[in-house]
Amino acid sequence: MNLLQRWAFALRLLLREWRSGELGVLLLALVVAVGAMTSVSFFADRIERGLSQQSARLLAADLVVNANAPLPAPWQDEARRLGLSLASSVSFPSMSFAGDEAALSNLKAVSAAYPLRGEVSLRLMNGREQNGRFAPAQGEAWVDARLLSRLKLKLGDRLGVGRLQLTIAGEILREPDGALDLYNFVPRLVFNQADLAASGLIQEGSRARYRLMVAGDGRQVEAFRRWAKSHLTPGMRLENIEEARPEVKTALERARRFLGIATMLTVALAAAAVAMAVRRYLARHWQSVAVMRALGMGSGEVWQVFALLFAMLALACGVIGAGLGYGLQWLLISVASGLGVETLPQPAWWLGLLGPLSSLVLLLGLALPPILALRQVSPLRVMRSETGAPRIGALAPVLALSALLLLAAWQVGDATLGLWLLGALGSFFVAVALVSMALLALVRRLARRSGKLGWRYGVANLARRPWLALIQLVALSVGLMALLLLTVVRGDLINSWQNSIPPDAPNKFAINIQEDQRAALGDSFVQSGRPAPELSPMVRARLLAINGKAVNPAKLADERARRLAEREFNLSWRDSLPAGNQIVAGKWWEGARVTPQFSVEAGLADTLGIRLGDSLSFDIAGTPYQAKVTSLRKVAWDNFRANFFVLAPPNWFAGERASYITSFRLPPESEGFVSQLLARFPNLTVIDIGVIITEVRAVVERLSRAVEVMFLLSLAAGVLVLWATFAATRHERLADMALMRALGASRRQLRVVLLSELAFIGALSGFLAGAGAMLTGAVIAKELLALPFTPNLWLLPGGVLLGMLVVCGAGWPLVGRVANAPPLAVLRAEL
Amino acid sequence: MNPSGETTAILRASAVGKQVAYHGEMLTILRDVSLAVARGETIAIVGASGSGKSSLLAILAGLDQASYGEVTLFGEPLSKLDEDGRAALRRARVGFVFQSFQLLPQLSALENVMLPLELCGRKDAAALARQRLERVGLGHRLKHYPRHLSGGEQQRVALARAFVTDPELLFADEPTGSLDPVAGEQVIDLLFRMNAEQGTSLVLVTHDPDLAARCDAIYRLHDGCLLGAGV
Repeated sequence: MNLLQRWAFALRLLLREWRSGELGVLLLALVVAVGAMTSVSFFADRIERGLSQQSARLLAADLVVNANAPLPAPWQDEARRLGLSLASSVSFPSMSFAGDEAALSNLKAVSAAYPLRGEVSLRLMNGREQNGRFAPAQGEAWVDARLLSRLKLKLGDRLGVGRLQLTIAGEILREPDGALDLYNFVPRLVFNQADLAASGLIQEGSRARYRLMVAGDGRQVEAFRRWAKSHLTPGMRLENIEEARPEVKTALERARRFLGIATMLTVALAAAAVAMAVRRYLARHWQSVAVMRALGMGSGEVWQVFALLFAMLALACGVIGAGLGYGLQWLLISVASGLGVETLPQPAWWLGLLGPLSSLVLLLGLALPPILALRQVSPLRVMRSETGAPRIGALAPVLALSALLLLAAWQVGDATLGLWLLGALGSFFVAVALVSMALLALVRRLARRSGKLGWRYGVANLARRPWLALIQLVALSVGLMALLLLTVVRGDLINSWQNSIPPDAPNKFAINIQEDQRAALGDSFVQSGRPAPELSPMVRARLLAINGKAVNPAKLADERARRLAEREFNLSWRDSLPAGNQIVAGKWWEGARVTPQFSVEAGLADTLGIRLGDSLSFDIAGTPYQAKVTSLRKVAWDNFRANFFVLAPPNWFAGERASYITSFRLPPESEGFVSQLLARFPNLTVIDIGVIITEVRAVVERLSRAVEVMFLLSLAAGVLVLWATFAATRHERLADMALMRALGASRRQLRVVLLSELAFIGALSGFLAGAGAMLTGAVIAKELLALPFTPNLWLLPGGVLLGMLVVCGAGWPLVGRVANAPPLAVLRAEL
Repeated sequence: MNPSGETTAILRASAVGKQVAYHGEMLTILRDVSLAVARGETIAIVGASGSGKSSLLAILAGLDQASYGEVTLFGEPLSKLDEDGRAALRRARVGFVFQSFQLLPQLSALENVMLPLELCGRKDAAALARQRLERVGLGHRLKHYPRHLSGGEQQRVALARAFVTDPELLFADEPTGSLDPVAGEQVIDLLFRMNAEQGTSLVLVTHDPDLAARCDAIYRLHDGCLLGAGV
C-alpha cells in the first residue's frame, strides 16, 4: 500500500465512522477542549492588540508626565523649546450635583489643546455623534451615561461641581484617555481647565493628578523624555506608549492566568473523554486490524493508517473548535468588560491555526501509544479472538502528560506555572477521587440493605466498574463545584460581608473638609439634629526611608508593597487610640506632651517590613519628618470609620495645612442632608458606601460571569466524560437490558433502572460539589476575608438536585437508546 | 405433534416463518414451522448448527417476531402484542436458561435470582431467592458474584433464577453448551428434577441427542424446516 493509498484508506474509514456516529464523543470532546483553549487566546490577543495599537490614543498624547502637584513652569518651557505640542489635564474625584441628587464622579479638567492624540466621541444634544479632536468650551461639561442617569439629567441640563454650574453639552461615548478603565465604576465628567479655579475644588489635600501631555515627532519626544527623566521628583512619573496603563496589563495577565486555570480544567476533563473514546475505538478495531494483517497488511502500514485517520480527525475538530473559540471569545469580552467589542481590533489570523495545532497535540498525545500498540495485534486473532489485548506500555501516561503540559504552558504563558497548574489539578482530582471512593463504598453498603431494584442495580453498576465510576464522579463534581462556587458561594460571601457591617456603621464619608470649614460643618450637623461629627485631620506624606535606608519602590519585590510605597499616605494625628483599633505591639502615647513618634497599622508594617522601634522618615510638602515606630495597630477596616495606616501625636505637624475627613450615618430618608451640605460646602466630597458596595458587587458579578462561561465548558467536558464512559460500557449495558427484557421487564422498568444509575451519579457528584463549594467558601471566608461565615447548608441538597438534573438530562438520550434494546440480543451470541 | 397438546397447549406455533433482508436479498431462516406444547410437556428442538434452532426459540419466547404465521403463548397471539406486552406476558410465567448463563456480573448470586421477582414487584424476593438457591445447593454462595463462581455453579444460579417465579414454561437454549460433562450432567439432572417437581413445560434447544431423549417429544429442524416430532 503506498502513501496515497494509505491516505485514501484512512479517509474512507474516517468518513464511514463519522457518519455512523461512532466518533461522536471523541469529536465533541476535542471540539470543546480546542474551543476553550482558543477562546482564551483570542480574548487575550484582542485586548493586548487593543492596548498596543491604541496606546497613543489611550494616552491622548505621545508622552505624559503624571504628577501629584501642578508641574512647575520649566517643564512646559522645555517642551515648548523642543517644539512639542502641549496640553494638560487635572483629574480628581468630586461630587457633582443637580437638584437634590448628588453623585461622586471622576472630574477631568482639560486644556484647550486636549487631546493631542486620539479622538473624542460625543453624542450631542441634537442626537448626532461628533468625533474629533476638541475640548469642552468654558462653562460646558461632557458627562457619561452613568452620571446622566444617576443625576436624572439629560443633555442641555445644568449641573453643579463645586461652586460652578456647567451646561451638559455632550454625552461621552469615548474619550481617548478614559476608554480602558474597564472596572472604573465612578461616573466621568470632563470640563474646561479655565473653569477649574472658579470651581474652588482644588485645595490643600485634594487628591488630584496633574498630567502634562506632549506630542511631536519621535526625535522631539525622545529629547523631552531624556530631559524629563533627569528632572523627575518624587510623586512624578512618565507614561509612554510602551508602558501605557501597566495596571491594565497586569490585570490582563491575571485574568489570562485565571481563565487558563478554568481552561486547563476543561482540557483535562476533555482529555479523559478523548482517551476513553480512543481506546474504545481502537479496541473495537482489533478484529479488523487482525483481518487486515491476515490479508497481508504490514504492521507499519496498519498503525500509519490509524495515525492518519486520527490526524485528519484532529485537524477537522481543530478547525471546528477554533470556530467555537472565536464565538466564545465574543461572549467573554462582552460579559467581562461590558465594552463594545467593536472598539477592539480583530485577533491575529494565525491564532486560528492554534486550533488544529492544539487539537493535534492533544489527540496524538493521547492516541499515539494505543495506535502504536496496534502493531502487536496478531493475525492469529482472526482464528482465536481471545488472543490477548495489545499492551500499550509506559509511554502512554508520559506522552499524555507531556501533551497536557505543553498546552498548559501555552495557556498560562509559562512552563513552570503550567507544571504547577497541572500538579495542582492532579492533586485536586486525586483528593476528589479519594472522597468519591469513600462515598461509593458507603453507598454500596447502604444499597445492600435496601430493597429497591433501580437503586440497587444503579449502585451495583457503579461498583461493577469502580474506576469508571470514579472518573465520572470526579469529572462531573469538579465542574459542578466550580459553578456552585461562582454563583451561590460568591453571593453568600458578599452577603456575609455586607451583614458583617454593623447596622449603625457610618454609611457616608465626607472628605476634603478645609480647616476653616470645621466649625461651620459641625454646626450644620447640630442644626439638623445630628451629633457633631468627629473630624480627623490628614496630610499627604511620602515614605522616604526606613531606618535611614531610602525606600525605592521599584526595588520592592512584593507588588502590594510597591504600590504602597509609591503612593502617598494619609497621615493623621490624635491623642487617643481610635475606636476599632487595637494595639498589638508597643504602647500608645499618653499625656499632654509627647515626643514625635509613629503608630503603624500592623498589616502595612508587615508588607513593608517595618518593625517596632524602626525609624521612619516621611516627606510632607517638602518637609522631612523622622521618628520611631512605638506601636503597631490592628485596624477593623470594615467599621467604616476614618482609619489611617500611620498616626502621629498631635501638634507635631502643626505647620502643615491639613484637610479633614469624617464619617457619619444617614438613614435613607435623610438623603436630602447631603444636598444641603454640598450646597453650603461645594468643595466637599461625600462618598456613599452603599453605592460602592453595589458597584463592587456589579464588578465582581461581571468578572465572575466571564469565568462562569469557562466553567460551563468544564461542566460540558464533564458531561462528555459521562458520555464516553457510557459509550465504553454500551455493549455491556445493552446485554444487561436485553436479559432483563427477556425476563419480562417493561420498558418503563428498564428506564427506571438506567435512570437510577444516572440519578445516582448525579446525586453523588452534586453532593461532592456542594460539600466542596461549602468548604472552599468557608476557607475563603475565614482565611482570606476574615469574615464570620455561616456555611450555606442548602448547597448540599441544591448540589444533589443540580447534579441529578444535569446528569439525568445529559444521559437521557443514552437511556432511550439502551432501554429500547431488543431482547433478541441476549441470544445473539448463540444465533 | 403431540395429540394431547391440541386442547391444552400453552404454546402453539402455526405455520411460522422468518425471513431477513441481507444485502437486498431475502434469506429464509424458518419455513412454515408448526408445533404445540401442552401444559407439563417437555419438548426438545434439535438440529445442526445454523438450522434455525435458536431463531425458533426466540420467536416462540416472543424475543423476536415471526415474519409470518402466528405464535400463541398462554392463549395470547404474540403478533397482537407490542414489545412491552410480550415482556409482560413473559414476566413470572416464562423462565430462561441460556448457554452462556447470562447472569448480571454486577449483581451477587442472590441478587441475580431476586431480579425476576423484583420485576414482578414481589416484596418477598430475597427470601424466595434464598430458598431457591439453597435448593440448587448454593445456599453458601449467596453473596458471591458470578466471576467468583464456576461455570456449573453459574448455571445453577441461572436455574434458580429460571424457576424462582414458578413459571409455567421454561425455555432452555443449549444449557450444557458451555459446561464440562460432569457439571453438565449435574445441571441437566437439576433441570429435569425441578421441572418435574413444578410441572413446568419445557422447550429445550440442543444438539445433544442424549439430552433430547429425556424429553417427551423431539422436533428436528433442518434448514429452517421442521422435520416432525419423534418420541
